[in-house]
Amino acid sequence: MSWMAGLMFVVVCLTLLAGYPVAFTLGGVALLFGLLGNLLGVFGFSELLAMPSRLYGVMTNETLIAVPLFVFMGVMLERSRVAEELLNAVAVLFGRVRGGLGITVVLVGALLAASTGIVGATVVTMGLLSLPTMLQRGYDPAVATGTICASGTLGQVIPPSIILVLLGDVLSSAYQQAQNSMGIFAAETVSVGDLFVGALLPGLCLVALYIAYLLWLAWRRPQAVPALPAQTRAELGRDGLARLLLAGLMPPLLLIVAVLGSIMAGVATPTEAAAVGAFGAALLAALRRQLSLQALREVVENTTRITAMVFLILIGASIFSLVFSAYGGDIAVHRLLESLPGGVFGAMVVVMLVMFLLGFILDFIEITFVVVPIVGPVLLTMGLDPVWLGVMMAINLQTSFLTPPFGFALFYLRGVAPPEVETRAIYRGAIPFIGIQVAMLCVLAVWPGLATWLPEQIYGG
Amino acid sequence: MLRRACDAIDRLNNVVGRCAAWLTAFMVLGYCVVVLLRYGFGIGLIGLQEAVTYMHAAVFMLAAAYTLNQDGHVRVDIFYRSWPARRQAWVNLLGSLCLLLPVAVFIFVASWSYVADAWARGEVSSEAGGLPFVYLLKTLILVMAVQLVLAALARAGDAALQLAESRT
Repeated sequence: MSWMAGLMFVVVCLTLLAGYPVAFTLGGVALLFGLLGNLLGVFGFSELLAMPSRLYGVMTNETLIAVPLFVFMGVMLERSRVAEELLNAVAVLFGRVRGGLGITVVLVGALLAASTGIVGATVVTMGLLSLPTMLQRGYDPAVATGTICASGTLGQVIPPSIILVLLGDVLSSAYQQAQNSMGIFAAETVSVGDLFVGALLPGLCLVALYIAYLLWLAWRRPQAVPALPAQTRAELGRDGLARLLLAGLMPPLLLIVAVLGSIMAGVATPTEAAAVGAFGAALLAALRRQLSLQALREVVENTTRITAMVFLILIGASIFSLVFSAYGGDIAVHRLLESLPGGVFGAMVVVMLVMFLLGFILDFIEITFVVVPIVGPVLLTMGLDPVWLGVMMAINLQTSFLTPPFGFALFYLRGVAPPEVETRAIYRGAIPFIGIQVAMLCVLAVWPGLATWLPEQIYGG
Repeated sequence: MLRRACDAIDRLNNVVGRCAAWLTAFMVLGYCVVVLLRYGFGIGLIGLQEAVTYMHAAVFMLAAAYTLNQDGHVRVDIFYRSWPARRQAWVNLLGSLCLLLPVAVFIFVASWSYVADAWARGEVSSEAGGLPFVYLLKTLILVMAVQLVLAALARAGDAALQLAESRT
């Protein structure tokens, strides 16, 4: 009956396009298919008895507690205008160089975008904060929008991102399943910490490549990325500059370094680091006198809405995957991937292509919960490294969000960009960055060590 | 009449969700204390750690319906966004009745005996020093299901009223 599973997948994708919330569409369509199968006599509801214990598993999953904590940290930093001041401070630092404002956007995006975890939110924030300034300073609209889209989505790949927490959790159970099926019971494990550390070097490489591209532009087409006029810096004077850097740059930088550092040093788990980071963000807001009761209320309610959104998708996706595997979908996908020409390589290429296409309609969270549990165990059984696989998937999806005409990031930026910026300019601006992404994927495919070397050094493989 | 019933449900779900939201702040505090005690003093407080887990579960389960009311559950809005209000109302009416309602009812029915069993056994934590309230934690599943059933009816009623009003 595996064709029923395939049909269900297609129907879910089509139903999603109607725009009803994803969490309930996933669960609802799966249940309707279960009912249909029951009427046809090919599906017994006993298959769904595992549901309550799965739900309880979601509720008590220690790793996933990091999600609300990191969201709290991100929302708190956003609410206390840390991003704005950071942007100002870095802009003053690099503004006089041609292309400096673009470099600023890349760096701030890499630092701050990480913690909200939803593609739309980060691109919108970065777009609102920096696009008007860039246009006003005479940046080529295509270059400006491309830079913002690429750096807004870059946060997905750079730790500490919520996406990596979710992907790490899903991959860790997929890895266990893969090893069990191979008869290895003293199984190795992969943790969220591994994925954080593994994603760091590739993420920094992307940052470096983006900056290199902007510098190349500054050399070849200086009029596309003009420097800030010198007087903004002179107006500040030496003391003003120092104060701006101290107040705007140091606190968030210290916070991010402390959170990442404690994870990298192997001292703290991501959840522990997230709790301390969230507390630190609150402290930072309090020091800036921006932590009123009203502000705290907004932060907790915003955090709660994002958390409920993420976990309800997880619940909806688990209903979906129960029905999917009851119809034999898992086994069918397994057979399909194994029968592809080219072995692991062929399977990997197909999975990456499918994820890339799904990225046009689904956000990172849905793909992580729906697709990775199905294809993850198969690919890992074929001998792929889980950390490498996770990093490849993350960069692949980031690329998908950048690709015209359906990329999420482009849509969201279109929504906040002024009307005089042409949609075609936004598409055109994204293309060089897509090139960088694809190059990065190829480099990772040739040298998996880029992702796996650092975790081995820190956690001793 | 329908209007007032929908509003009453929304108020109830929103109050529950907003109260649950404050738990996120206590989660941050609680987990920081756990970290401080572990790395500062070498003390492991299983009870407090489990309390944070309980709060975490309570946050997303009690706030699921509230988040729905605030339109916080992510949609694939490539088309939805540009549709006229009437068509959006149709999506919400049909979605609430044909997708959300079955999911919520299913979660309730499928979990009933699971939760009842935990109550009958007075289930406690399997960890030494853990909290003895596992049956209460599991009860959250039923609470969430009930809240979502109510929210599905309220959203459907809301959308139906919107459709009826825009007709005239």
